[in-house]
Amino acid sequence: MSGKSSTLGPGMRADTLPFGIPGAQAPGATLTTVSRAVAENEPPPLSPNSDLRVVGKPVPRIDGALKVTGRARYTADMQLPGMLYASVATSRLPHARVKSIDMRAAQAHPGVRAVHVVKRVLGVAVLRDKSAEMPADFPIVRFAGQPIAAVAAVSQTAADEAAALIRVEYEPLPFVVDVDEARKPDAPLVYPGPADQPHTAGGGGGLQNLPQQGNVHGPARNERGNVETGFKQADVMVEAEFRTQVQTHGALETHGMVADWRGDGLTVYASTQSTSSVRDELAEIMDLPESRVRVLTEYMGGGFGAKFGAGNAGAMAAELSRKAGAPVRLTLTRKDEHLSTGNRPNSRQHLKIGATKDGHLTAIDLRCFGTGGVGTGAGAGGPAANMYQCPNLLVEESDVFTNAGPAAAFRAPGHPQGCFALEQVIDELAEKLDLDPLELRGRNDNSAVRREERRIGAARAHWAARRAPGADRGPIKRGIGVAQALWYRIVNLDSACEVRIGRDGSVELLSAVQDIGGGIRTALAQVVAEELGREASDVRVSIGDTAYPVGPPSGGSMTTTSITPAARAAVFQARQAMSAALGPFFGVSASEIEMRDGKVFPRADRSRAISFRQAAGRLRTSEVVGRASRVADYEQPKQLVQYGGVQFVELAVDTETGVIKVEHVVAVHDCGRPLNPLAVESQINGGIIQGISYALYEDRRLDRNTGLMVNPNLEAYKIAGAFETPEIETVILENYLALSSTDAGGIGEPATVATAAAIANAFYNATGVRVRMLPMTPAVVLDALRQEMRA
Amino acid sequence: MNNFVVANPRSIDEAIRQAAKSGTYKAGGIDLIDCMKEGLASPPLLVNLSALPGLDTVSADGAGNLRIGAMVTLAALAENPVVNEQARAVAEAAARSATPQIRNMATAGGNLLQRTRCWYYRRVDFNCRRKGGQTCFAHDGENEYHAIFDNQLCAMVHPSSLAVALIAVEARLELTGAQGKREVALEQFYLTPEQDLHTGYHLDAGELVTAVLIAAAPARRVSTFVKVGQKESFDWPLADVAVAMQLANGRCRKARVILGAAAPVPWRSRRAEAELESHEVTEQTALRAAKASMEGATPLERNTYKVAIFETVVRRAIIAAAAQDGGHA
Amino acid sequence: MARRRHGESAKSSLKGLSRRDFLKSAGFGAAGLAGAKLLEANLLAAQSGPAASDEIGPGPVPLKLNVNGTPRAIAVEPRTTLAQALRDNLGLTGTKVVCDRGACSACTVWLDATPVNACMVLAVDVGKRRVTTIEGLAPEGRLHPVQAAFVAHDATQCGYCTPGMVMSCAALLARNANPSLDDVKRAVSGNLCRCGTYPKVFAATLAAAETQRGHP
Repeated sequence: MSGKSSTLGPGMRADTLPFGIPGAQAPGATLTTVSRAVAENEPPPLSPNSDLRVVGKPVPRIDGALKVTGRARYTADMQLPGMLYASVATSRLPHARVKSIDMRAAQAHPGVRAVHVVKRVLGVAVLRDKSAEMPADFPIVRFAGQPIAAVAAVSQTAADEAAALIRVEYEPLPFVVDVDEARKPDAPLVYPGPADQPHTAGGGGGLQNLPQQGNVHGPARNERGNVETGFKQADVMVEAEFRTQVQTHGALETHGMVADWRGDGLTVYASTQSTSSVRDELAEIMDLPESRVRVLTEYMGGGFGAKFGAGNAGAMAAELSRKAGAPVRLTLTRKDEHLSTGNRPNSRQHLKIGATKDGHLTAIDLRCFGTGGVGTGAGAGGPAANMYQCPNLLVEESDVFTNAGPAAAFRAPGHPQGCFALEQVIDELAEKLDLDPLELRGRNDNSAVRREERRIGAARAHWAARRAPGADRGPIKRGIGVAQALWYRIVNLDSACEVRIGRDGSVELLSAVQDIGGGIRTALAQVVAEELGREASDVRVSIGDTAYPVGPPSGGSMTTTSITPAARAAVFQARQAMSAALGPFFGVSASEIEMRDGKVFPRADRSRAISFRQAAGRLRTSEVVGRASRVADYEQPKQLVQYGGVQFVELAVDTETGVIKVEHVVAVHDCGRPLNPLAVESQINGGIIQGISYALYEDRRLDRNTGLMVNPNLEAYKIAGAFETPEIETVILENYLALSSTDAGGIGEPATVATAAAIANAFYNATGVRVRMLPMTPAVVLDALRQEMRA
Repeated sequence: MNNFVVANPRSIDEAIRQAAKSGTYKAGGIDLIDCMKEGLASPPLLVNLSALPGLDTVSADGAGNLRIGAMVTLAALAENPVVNEQARAVAEAAARSATPQIRNMATAGGNLLQRTRCWYYRRVDFNCRRKGGQTCFAHDGENEYHAIFDNQLCAMVHPSSLAVALIAVEARLELTGAQGKREVALEQFYLTPEQDLHTGYHLDAGELVTAVLIAAAPARRVSTFVKVGQKESFDWPLADVAVAMQLANGRCRKARVILGAAAPVPWRSRRAEAELESHEVTEQTALRAAKASMEGATPLERNTYKVAIFETVVRRAIIAAAAQDGGHA
Repeated sequence: MARRRHGESAKSSLKGLSRRDFLKSAGFGAAGLAGAKLLEANLLAAQSGPAASDEIGPGPVPLKLNVNGTPRAIAVEPRTTLAQALRDNLGLTGTKVVCDRGACSACTVWLDATPVNACMVLAVDVGKRRVTTIEGLAPEGRLHPVQAAFVAHDATQCGYCTPGMVMSCAALLARNANPSLDDVKRAVSGNLCRCGTYPKVFAATLAAAETQRGHP
């Protein structure tokens, strides 16, 4: 936290940047400055938001008008000349050998122009040793919903009809869909040998090359100190088991792609969170150089982690386009979206924590496993390992394969699950120690920003007025609970922008980064506008095209962190070029030229101000350009910098029906320098509502006798709606870390990490009963209350 | 969906003729189109009821008997002042069904005839007993939302909240067919799995629901409808209940207690009614009636919780209905 | 467009070819029943004779729809939903299809100012009712107060639910100039948003109502 004095290397300079949390009350946390060594061509330090005009201000989205008028075009809206429509046939069996696939009837359908049989299934675990399995003509079917083949036809109706004519002969194999059944030594094997699912850009997948016994892949071990010793040192201990469910992403726009194969390359319109991941995967699949694959994502209808890479949908669309010699649009049905495009694994967690009587944690022991179907990534150990200071830690995480759709990274993978367990056990410890739950956290949490968040949130939520558990007498019981979040600052250096200033005064930013809905388009406009003294609406932002400078994925909450400094560097370069051209006109050196409030003038003499447009008119060339890539953070901390977040939930429980209603949430969050409070608030709202939905309603249900999902729709897969939305109060802290030229960070994931845990803690406060499983349906609630009454 | 021909008859007679030759009626189309998209039905001929005259109004005769045309939408039903006045439970049930968009299109007739939402029934991949197969998949499967009564053959729950409320107020259906008109009490119209496993009601070929009839409310009839869902926004009920009582001086002369989402048909609880009739309606009698309503329940592995919820909902519905009487002198 | 003679059954028009014969000759096994049914229905329909005067389909039916105030002529099969007709035949892609089952209301349009799910309306059923889509809510270049409020209050994130939400909220304000928060929630109780824009949708709609009340 202290400013480090650094020896400046060549080409470096020492900058003074804002550092700390404005208004912080904890000693040493408040806003100050710190010195960093930065490259000489880096933009100058950016003042705290209070001094800025556009950055840090609530700027309406520059694409808002397009979205509210229906003019924003998404992948499913694309209509190219001669475009064909695809339909996919999927397996209805959870585990089977494919004996034959007869495409003849499908091919003979008058509307069909191309057919394709899937030879390689993407997004699933693959055998480490391929020889563990007999070679086969077709991939083994390992989950119901696995894509088998696809057709492209002149209309969607024709394609659907033709797909229904595909004849597949299966040899059914024994299957297992229940995570507990799958762990048993005699369970049917999902894979005949060890298998690994590669990471996606968003952080899903799991560790590779872990030991595997039967269907159990792992454990991955994370250890520090010695937990046995730690427990001996403890005065109190809490040990409990927790269960969470499988959740599907449920983005409103299903996976889809329009693939346009031309002889010399492939252009695709993709609904994706990472244009470059689509390009890279398609290049590999179609055996093309990456430079011959172009991916466009002007707008996309949500991802939440499931939309990285080309996916099976993209691969099929590309193959069909090549075969048909025409563009092909493939959009998945809602059912297939649930079955095959990803999910958040479930979890079974056994958590034990010990603490001294003065409230210091001495040992954390978490053993957890979960199923990501035919994928991996169920690990829930992040919060236990990283939230609190504890000298002795043991985390063991395992994946259990089942014959179900593969997991994909889902908004803070592992963390909502992990917090659901961790934050409840912390509360239970606090109760045993007769400590305020916030106080216990405070004694073990060295995050300065979360300390502020606890303080501010507690005041806003009237924490001090909370009552003892189960205080309400009548059937409706109300309570308040708290939980903390964490996420990690991730920087992707593959982030670049180009900024063009035209002689006509136009300003444009170009980058391949895509806007997942978080508002990066507007944030980029703000960064550019701030530098040039313009309004965000003056800046044209062209994104989502791999023809533009490479952009980071919209995942891991890394987008804002990664791309905005590149944007700032690029606009700074362009500005310098423009200022150099203006120097002779004003008779001053470039560095003395100010751009502010739409005007350009020498700093020493504002009376000579001309408009930006007039100034641009003096450019010697039709445009000046700046182009920059993200440089590394100004300092490389030894541990990943954490984002925090503290949420207080107030809810009401109808103890006679088991229905829970979340009524009020106070959420205090940080994301470095918030670029746009409107957008940050929206992300926090979204994370909370998704967290409520996860805690109370959502559940991917598989029929154990057939292995089929019984609710692959939006009616029986229950997602929170308007009446489930509580009043939400958000407080966004500025937390300057002095790490980049914008010092801005992401918020998407921290927003959802704590909510389910806070709900569970609130439930306990309301009823005096602990619920340790999700979702907290009326059935679960009534059962917990009844058991408590018996006890 | 399959491709089909649409007939647009201009009279009920014409409609009946067209339907009798393998046509399927289409009212609001909400359930039908869903079934067709899921591959559960592929009718070659749809007989469109939209243009038929006289089916989409609510009227009351001089004696206060209500006639609800079968094509009246759920939205119109929910807002209708006469229905709200005389059979409040019916308006409440309509208002609490589905979503605003669906209520604007779904009709009373279509709602009463819709197929179950059982997720095994609704997925063509499960050839369940109701569809002609051998197994009720819910028995040993995901039966959290299934029936707690009469569930041995088929464990579905009846999907219509409106039916629950209508049966509470003793509604009758007016059916029009090639042989003319007939009336049947809605309570009798629905058939248990033992009586008719595949459809759950009987209509002659081409026969059409043309109206729902609610006889004039006897003085001091109060009715209410209570629904408990997991979500409040667009969710099917975990349990819903309609209670109608005729009260005299705070004493219940006649009661009807109908449970929805409890059985393959709207479930009339005579046990609960017996606890109420001839008694003063108090918290105690309501509690006894509620407990009685669950006698004989045979919950499945995952839906025992419904018993507790029904006990609550029945009790609350009785109290709420009785409270309506408070304003009467 | 094929029509059937009034009173003639669909089966008789295939001149004695039984359904089983048809299936056998087409080589469909038991496993292919769903597909066989589809194809059968289509072939039956296609081979039928002249139809009754009030029957339409199964081939494309010429329709004249009033969409956003303009008569639009299209020809679509009866099974075409209004959502498909708007998106594929009329190029009005603002109306989104998300679940295609009436469960999420992303496809909300107005029929004569009544919000309905376009994915559950057959195009041939629209008749003379005026269709209003998101593109037609406000004149070109202008924003409806609800649209303007959505932008000002940041009620969009990915934007995919937005057209449906806007149509539901604008319909609310057309029938209720002074809605409560509860009224707003009810109006969008069928509109699903995965990004969680609800709080700002409520705020935007209440603000738009206030704006409208200030400028009658």
